[in-house]
Amino acid sequence: MGNGTEEDYNFVFKVVLIGESGVGKTNLLSRFTRNEFSHDSRTTIGVEFSTRTVMLGTAAVKAQIWDTAGLERYRAITSAYYRGAVGALLVFDLTKHQTYAVVERWLKELYDHAEATIVVMLVGNKSDLSQAREVPTEEARMFAENNGLLFLETSALDSTNVELAFETVLKEIFAKVSKQRQNSTRSNAITLGSAQAGQEPGPGEKRACCISL
Amino acid sequence: MGKLEEVPLEVLRQRESKWLDMLNNWDKWMAKKHKKIRLRCQKGIPPSLRGRAWQYLSGGKVKLQQNPGKFDELDMSPGDPKWLDVIERDLHRQFPFHEMFVSRGGHGQQDLFRVLKAYTLYRPEEGYCQAQAPIAAVLLMHMPAEQAFWCLVQICEKYLPGYYSEKLEAIQLDGEILFSLLQKVSPVAHKHLSRQKIDPLLYMTEWFMCAFSRTLPWSSVLRVWDMFFCEGVKIIFRVGLVLLKHALGSPEKVKACQGQYETIERLRSLSPKIMQEAFLVQEVVELPVTERQIEREHLIQLRRWQETRGELQCRSPPRLHGAKAILDAEPGPRPTLQPSPSIRLPPDALLPGSRAKPRLPMQVQKEQRKQTKASGQQDKTLAPNQALMVAAAGDACPPQHMPPKDPVPQDPVPQDLAPQDSAHHHSQESLTSQESEDTYL
Repeated sequence: MGNGTEEDYNFVFKVVLIGESGVGKTNLLSRFTRNEFSHDSRTTIGVEFSTRTVMLGTAAVKAQIWDTAGLERYRAITSAYYRGAVGALLVFDLTKHQTYAVVERWLKELYDHAEATIVVMLVGNKSDLSQAREVPTEEARMFAENNGLLFLETSALDSTNVELAFETVLKEIFAKVSKQRQNSTRSNAITLGSAQAGQEPGPGEKRACCISL
Repeated sequence: MGKLEEVPLEVLRQRESKWLDMLNNWDKWMAKKHKKIRLRCQKGIPPSLRGRAWQYLSGGKVKLQQNPGKFDELDMSPGDPKWLDVIERDLHRQFPFHEMFVSRGGHGQQDLFRVLKAYTLYRPEEGYCQAQAPIAAVLLMHMPAEQAFWCLVQICEKYLPGYYSEKLEAIQLDGEILFSLLQKVSPVAHKHLSRQKIDPLLYMTEWFMCAFSRTLPWSSVLRVWDMFFCEGVKIIFRVGLVLLKHALGSPEKVKACQGQYETIERLRSLSPKIMQEAFLVQEVVELPVTERQIEREHLIQLRRWQETRGELQCRSPPRLHGAKAILDAEPGPRPTLQPSPSIRLPPDALLPGSRAKPRLPMQVQKEQRKQTKASGQQDKTLAPNQALMVAAAGDACPPQHMPPKDPVPQDPVPQDLAPQDSAHHHSQESLTSQESEDTYL
């Protein structure tokens, strides 16, 4: 997929990866956007991101996936990170119960910084390590249901459900966006993405705006 | 362009001699010839002496002398499990392609663990911050764990205080300072980043917290660190400014980055040309950004912070701008630095070109030679490869992996090197010796 202004897409959706250090956010990113996985990917410090354009029906959607450090300490510098995000994957490591136990804290962090309408999926990663499981699927699924979150278990290592996870989130965002467009066409007003997200097209460029829900 | 910068062997040897002289007379040099030290750091510390020089520059060596046995004590203590857990997860994620760190459970990773754990015990209120890992890793590539620990302490407390603390306030402030300084350095880049509303934290966090160890090609990292240890954080600021200026500093460059995403992407994949050692060092040395400007901007940003966000939650001590400032801040008189070679030869080891006689540690041999020289006796010059052996003491590479850093000439009897050519023979006499030579070298 080429980069740059020649690329033909209708939407840009910013999706953030959040969760404890070491749960696999960076590898989910690389698996989805580059089909790569590494046991020794570097600790994320600062912000990383990557993009991939997918087709949802007839619309081309460019997913801008953002990744950052999971360590507690970094919570202090992430408001720029959340700005303009329309989707989030809240990732835990299903072989480390501690990373699941703090999911509520992450949700709070998310809602403190992002739009209330953000689409959130709870992701239990490392499903390939079935022998080492510490978080029962049903428990996590129930929690997700009770909190209005999507849910999937994935393995960035063997690719299980990685595509599905991102696509589901993107489809959900797209559905919301479409609905909003229908509503606003009726009322003759389009809600644009907040200017701070900086994702509006430059002058003279033919691109849909990133839409905040 | 693109060819690796190679220092001719002869020049390297002479630089090594000069550095050995400086290191052996460190206090005098720092007191009277600090500008010369700075110049030599800008030229690049010879690889064989880099580890030692960093310890001297940072004051890590002094710290070690002042705290004998402290590291061992920390090393043997059990750490806080919550920190150990996080540290362990990071061990295989630092420079994973470097031979020192590639093996899980190998001694490179072990030493990394020891150093990081020791810090969490030394400063429990600070704990562990992930960016400390690459910093410690770079140090460990050049010196053993105990030495690396004290250099890490100096970086965290003197050079970059508050960078790794909770709340990460210092890095946020520095992001604002960087952006502010950019206005004069490159109005085009500044305007673009402003328009795109790109928070400095989106590009400078990894740069600054890891002192560019994860951004630049390796030879550039080492040159930057050489200057950083000597001159302090202003080097980090200058590197950041140079990168920003050359990545986004012209209308053409900016035109190719029409969105927030494209701009940040550009800053994450910088052109190799602007990161190349010779180019980058030149730009950094010439950029007229001073400590005073940084401090002034710091006050402005601090005031703005207090107005918009209230008081800082973590008050860090003021940072010290380099080796001289650190030295001057040391309280009271202290014993002169004793050079301490970590390679001690067994008593009957035969060195190339030397007569068999009872051996003494290299340093003492050199002292003896200086004395006999001074008294006019014909002397046996320290062969270049012997100098390298002493110099390599600070090198942390595991012995079985240690390739000679430079091709060592195989002539055991250096008859071509007349005694008076070796700079270190003059070291006791005067600090002004050989000064006029010190241009290219």
